[in-house]
Amino acid sequence: MKKHINIVLILLVAACTWSACKKDFPVDEDGLLITTRQECYVSSFELLGTDFVTVRVGAAVIDTTAQTIDVTVQFGTDLKNLYPQFTLASDCKLDPKITGKVDFSDLAHPKVYTVISGNRQIKKPYSVNITVQPRQ
Amino acid sequence: MQRRKIYHYSFLPAALLLLVVACKKQEYALPTPKDVLQNDCIKRTLGPNIVGQKIEFAYAMAILPAKGKLVSAEVEASIAGAPGTYMENKSYYTDQGGVDVGIPIGDSSVTKGTNTAVTFTTDTFATTLRYYYVIPDEARGKTVNFTFTTKSSNGETASFSMGPYTIAKMDMVRNLKVSTDKMAYISIADMTVYDSTAAAANPDKIDLVYVYRKFDSSAFNHALVSPAADTNYLPGVMLPAGVSRNSKLIKVFNLQDYNLALLQYGIYIDDVDFQKLDFTNAPDYAINLKAEAGAWIETADAKYRAYIYINSVKSDGTAVISIKRLAL
Repeated sequence: MKKHINIVLILLVAACTWSACKKDFPVDEDGLLITTRQECYVSSFELLGTDFVTVRVGAAVIDTTAQTIDVTVQFGTDLKNLYPQFTLASDCKLDPKITGKVDFSDLAHPKVYTVISGNRQIKKPYSVNITVQPRQ
Repeated sequence: MQRRKIYHYSFLPAALLLLVVACKKQEYALPTPKDVLQNDCIKRTLGPNIVGQKIEFAYAMAILPAKGKLVSAEVEASIAGAPGTYMENKSYYTDQGGVDVGIPIGDSSVTKGTNTAVTFTTDTFATTLRYYYVIPDEARGKTVNFTFTTKSSNGETASFSMGPYTIAKMDMVRNLKVSTDKMAYISIADMTVYDSTAAAANPDKIDLVYVYRKFDSSAFNHALVSPAADTNYLPGVMLPAGVSRNSKLIKVFNLQDYNLALLQYGIYIDDVDFQKLDFTNAPDYAINLKAEAGAWIETADAKYRAYIYINSVKSDGTAVISIKRLAL
């Protein structure tokens, strides 16, 4: 009898452990939750200098159809050392990831960032076009 | 079984006893003062210890009146302080108006080499004296220790050791006035500002030019520009002959170093902050600088790194700057 109780207990514990480890929600390779959302766009964009103060002149113009971000920066902006900040639709993520300063000095070849939707099915590349304000 | 019972019965009274002891109220008793000469010390200055600046200590000493009175207080520094090192001969109290009032307790301090001493001339049983150590140049990059000692009339001696304190390698200069039309040439090597005539005489020492320009279509305003920078950043500037060095700058905001700004912010730039900087891809100009902003600088020969803090700016093309500099 005692032997049977022990077996039942072991099975119960194993069942609990298995159910506890069961994956309820899918996550992507970054450990981020994959949802059902299909929205895929940039809602706002910021560009900071090494002093963490904005270098923008006016708001960035985001065209979600053409998938472009046009931003004018102040005269004298150090384009090699900028911190871009994107605000994305819910559950989206950005590729490549922004891990520090970014060099935007090659104005002829705008940087491209891809927005990936919450369901990870839709990918939209956005070009960041920078214009430097003239001195005078 | 019998033994188990014994354990049970002995555990209960023991737990009860513990409860009674734990709940027992301890009567407060006035602490009995030690009947020997006592002393204590605190360091009052914060941040890096910079050559030419003071380290301030407050040294407290006391003895029971029945045992004697204080006779002397002295400090032995491991490296002699620079001129200006002294110990207060006044004991301070704060009056009702919040003003510190000093009561002389002895002669002015006498500093001989590494030793600074005050001899008491009034009957004093307890006092706190301030000691100001002016950091000498020979202490740069070294550590300094202090031993505070007091003596009482009954022959007792008490000592208190402080330190070691590391003395920073950097230099500092505060409140240099710059103006775009006259004193515009900044030398990190000399930690000073030159006019165009002096700059022409020392072209290899000019690392930056202070420029102020007001444009309608862009925010140029107050700028620190390397002489070798693009002329777009030196509008209307006629550089003296030979002034052509190419310093690197990193623009900074919200870094109000306490030593330079003397504002309420508890931020201190130390030697290590200069060492950690990365000037790869840094530009040779920093424009549109505001009051309380600043810039990290590396000189063209990579001999010095500095932080220039903008204390204040005026729209007439003048500014007040302060510099911390580390020789690499």
